[in-house]
Amino acid sequence: MGILLLLVGSYMGLFVAPPERHMGEVQRIMYVHVPTAWVGLLCATLAMVFAVAYLWTSNSKWDDRLVGALEVSFLLGGLLLVQGMLWGRVTWGIWWTWDVRLTTSLIMFLLFAGILALRAFVEEPLRRATWSSVATIVAYVDVPLVYFCVKWFRSLHQVQSSPETVHSSMVVPLRVNSFAMLFIAIWLIAWRARVESKSRGEERPPTRRQVEGEGNV
Amino acid sequence: MNPSVVTSNLAKRFGHKWALAHVDLEVEAGQGLLVVGDNGSGKTTLLRLLAGLLLPTLGKVEIFGAPPQEPGSGARARLGLVGHQGYLYDALSPLETLEFWNRLAGGARSPADLEALLDQAGLAADRNRRVGGFSAGMRKRLSILRLHLEKPDVVLLDEPFSALDEAGRGWLLGTLADLRRGGATLIVASHDPERAAPLCDRAIRMDQGQVIWQGAAFGQGWAAR
Amino acid sequence: MSVLGQALAVARKDLLLGWRGRTRTLAVALFGMVTLVLFSFAVAADGEVGVSAAAGFLIVALLLSSILALEESFRLEAEDRAIEGLLLLPVDPVAIYYGKAVANTLLLVLLGPILLFLTAIFFSLQLDGANLAGLAVLWFLAAAGIAAPGTLYASMTSRLTGRDVILPLLLFPLTLPILMTGVRSFDLILRGDAMSQLKGWILLLTAFDLVYWILCGALFSRTLEE
Repeated sequence: MGILLLLVGSYMGLFVAPPERHMGEVQRIMYVHVPTAWVGLLCATLAMVFAVAYLWTSNSKWDDRLVGALEVSFLLGGLLLVQGMLWGRVTWGIWWTWDVRLTTSLIMFLLFAGILALRAFVEEPLRRATWSSVATIVAYVDVPLVYFCVKWFRSLHQVQSSPETVHSSMVVPLRVNSFAMLFIAIWLIAWRARVESKSRGEERPPTRRQVEGEGNV
Repeated sequence: MNPSVVTSNLAKRFGHKWALAHVDLEVEAGQGLLVVGDNGSGKTTLLRLLAGLLLPTLGKVEIFGAPPQEPGSGARARLGLVGHQGYLYDALSPLETLEFWNRLAGGARSPADLEALLDQAGLAADRNRRVGGFSAGMRKRLSILRLHLEKPDVVLLDEPFSALDEAGRGWLLGTLADLRRGGATLIVASHDPERAAPLCDRAIRMDQGQVIWQGAAFGQGWAAR
Repeated sequence: MSVLGQALAVARKDLLLGWRGRTRTLAVALFGMVTLVLFSFAVAADGEVGVSAAAGFLIVALLLSSILALEESFRLEAEDRAIEGLLLLPVDPVAIYYGKAVANTLLLVLLGPILLFLTAIFFSLQLDGANLAGLAVLWFLAAAGIAAPGTLYASMTSRLTGRDVILPLLLFPLTLPILMTGVRSFDLILRGDAMSQLKGWILLLTAFDLVYWILCGALFSRTLEE
């Protein structure tokens, strides 16, 4: 269903909505770019929620979901960067600029990549779960710090565009695509969590053996 | 009935492997329990769980009614563990090591006391050398001194006689006998059980993470058959 | 014994170990100096670089050296499982965290005079009494901002094989706010603060430090679970 919605939304974005006055056809990348950003941020927030839930309950089902959320955020973060670079190349003529949102996305992408790398190195499931939860919380708290820092740092150079100027004919495909992405993301997270939970192996201990000898200890 | 160490349905899993399962123990305060088993039978895992260094996958551990994994529970203050590791910093001297432990444990001992302890362990002559240059037996003696410092109510010992020479073993046996006379509970895991058995009342034999035999420590009923 | 007293005992022990292993501690300082020399050859061999570039090199040199210092700090704890010995004594994990974080901060602070002096020579910075005081405060805050998450992460990675890769991978992106505020404050201290922005930047850096010190201290005990 998510894929269907994405197709509809993209069709509307690509062919129905009017081209933007200044930027022309390139602006159409916005119909995937903005939803990617929204859903990516949402998945990162989900990862944070799962990490807190894991530390709170020590129930490994939260760790399964955490892997899903981390990997999907990582994926969306990567997509976001590629889209941002394409946009930048066409509109500003450069692949990369140290713009607030682009920089923050990059750092977030790197932070999540680091957590996934950490997971790959830890074999013991209990450690892996607590450590990646701890790292996720620290990384998530770090993201707004990076954002404000870059914003202050750059404050003399750039003024941010305000999103209210978006025309309503653009809003519909944006919304449709956002929901589409959201569905796909949640489906991916759930699927990844299932795979992870299966790979964790036998939940129950081996059968109890007969105790010989005399008396209770 | 005043149990000092209780476990119920205790189990621990590392990765895909269950290192310990279905362990139900109840050790009276002041009792001695001998834990016998081959390498990999779960003895070390059991002791580390009792010490609160590992979290149980299933079941629970209670030391005087409190879980030892929680730093604030007070259970940890009442137990001592001598394990395979000595918990030593190579760059410190034995005297500095004792001073550091003593300070962290509340600083009850005077410097003269600490010197006397080193003397007891036969380390007085080396008190200002670095621990890094010590032999395995000397390191073991130093880590056993923790029991003298802490005077724990529950003493957990994992292969306590390894690396020690004959004199060292005698000294350790004396130390443990003193602790038991003072009312301490003793849990000894060893594959040299003849030596530890006289200190204990009861024994269990473990195999593949489970208790397969239990009974009296004397009479060698715990021996493999 | 109080948590504060335990933390102080742990910090004292770490500093003593740092002093005992002073060849290694010095090697960390030397490593920082080498990175500075590399930077100066890479970009400034044929002329001047700006103050902010010099500040950037200085703080990046601090970050690179911090990895070595942090790894050593926890290698000593992992070697004979000494940290377990602390937990058994029993020491509150919070005390272990803050003790080690304070000791790591101080070790990084000690790198300051050496690295700053070299930077000043290589990039011909004008140091005087007035700006040295500001730089000292800045250096302390930057060191504290790196040591807090560094202590948390090194506690995890010290128990892994392949830790040499993982610690910088986790720590470097995280400390970007420290790097940026540090560089900007350094620049303002040395080139004059025409619009009185310095106070804001230093406050921001202090706020970041507080966030890291509180958050990492709260999470540390969980990294010891097995």
